[in-house]
Amino acid sequence: MTALGPAPAPAPPAGDPVPAPPLVELRGVRAAYGTIEVLHGVDLSLMPGEVLAVLGPNGAGKTTMLNVLAGLHPLSGGDVFVAGRRTNGASAADLARVGLCLVPEGRGIFPNLTVRENLRMAAHAGHDPRAVEEAAYERFPRLAQRRRQLAGTLSGGEQQMLALARGLATDPAVLVLDELSMGLAPLVVEELYGQVAELARRGVSILVVEQFARVVLGVADRAAIMLGGRVTDVGAPDEIESKLSAAYLGG
Amino acid sequence: MSDNDNTERVERFKAEVAAMHLRDPATGLDRLLVRLGVAGLVAGPCFSIAAWFIAHGTRNPLQQRDAIVVGLIGVTLAVVGGALFVKGAMAGFLRFWMARLCYEQGAQADRLAAALTGRTSPEAAEAAAAAASDGRAPAEAETAAGDKDASRTG
Repeated sequence: MTALGPAPAPAPPAGDPVPAPPLVELRGVRAAYGTIEVLHGVDLSLMPGEVLAVLGPNGAGKTTMLNVLAGLHPLSGGDVFVAGRRTNGASAADLARVGLCLVPEGRGIFPNLTVRENLRMAAHAGHDPRAVEEAAYERFPRLAQRRRQLAGTLSGGEQQMLALARGLATDPAVLVLDELSMGLAPLVVEELYGQVAELARRGVSILVVEQFARVVLGVADRAAIMLGGRVTDVGAPDEIESKLSAAYLGG
Repeated sequence: MSDNDNTERVERFKAEVAAMHLRDPATGLDRLLVRLGVAGLVAGPCFSIAAWFIAHGTRNPLQQRDAIVVGLIGVTLAVVGGALFVKGAMAGFLRFWMARLCYEQGAQADRLAAALTGRTSPEAAEAAAAAASDGRAPAEAETAAGDKDASRTG
């Protein structure tokens, strides 16, 4: 692997408008757990202000891909570019500090801390903890009622709201969501995706991995299908929706 | 947040990413440190044992003092090597252990809350609420939530 540097941009044909460079780009990304390779060359890009949904069955490598992007899992090949800079080997803490925020599968909240304490944990240097709390309560009024309650005693939906609110406390430029709907009732999922749509309207770039295709495709600008550690299709949500059953059932 | 605000945020993001101090992963510094640590752990005791034989095999105090220095170098190598090995090799293990601990705590808190309130899991309660709004039987919804829980823990 060569030294770190900016992504080489191919020159556009003369006369065509110059497209905006992607905010996040994965090129031929490979990753493994021990000797078992689970990502076999993933190519994907997220444009500024876009909502990109990645769909696929269990074991397709979606979560691993997000972990690689967020600096939580090492690459065994390929490159990750964030804002045009190769970030292979960047730590998760550094990426989160600059504004690439991952809301992990299983929520990742601190169950033995209260809602307020969880929110305060998210307020890093330069963010006023009170402002973080107020913003979270404004976005999710249910959390305000539970502010002194242990996070582990919240319902699944409230825990996911807390995880999302904690992610948003860092003022992310890129929000990466992993299985937001996991283990939640459809009504709660719709409420959470309402918040995601609101964030998208505000221009936050969002990469969301999901199995609940119907809801996420309603919010996404583009969608991708991931199968067996590769991105097999990228396109408009309608186009991807029609290919989903074949992808899941192998038709 | 207006479009201008968002453009500003994206520009700030680009500037911050450009200013990040990144280490080239190709250098493999972590792996090198672990190997150095292992070498220190092996060489340190060897130095100390050799020093004992040197000191034991002579009555010359000057040679014995040299042997003491060699022995101390061996101890230092072993301690520093051990520290490097623990830092490099154990960090990954401890990270997983901590993640596991957090998960276990979460599961324990769920069980405790369910036992204290005498209710079913939050997921089951939510599923029942959703089912009520859809006109399904709560028992049916709880079964569905139970299936979800089983697939999550399984």
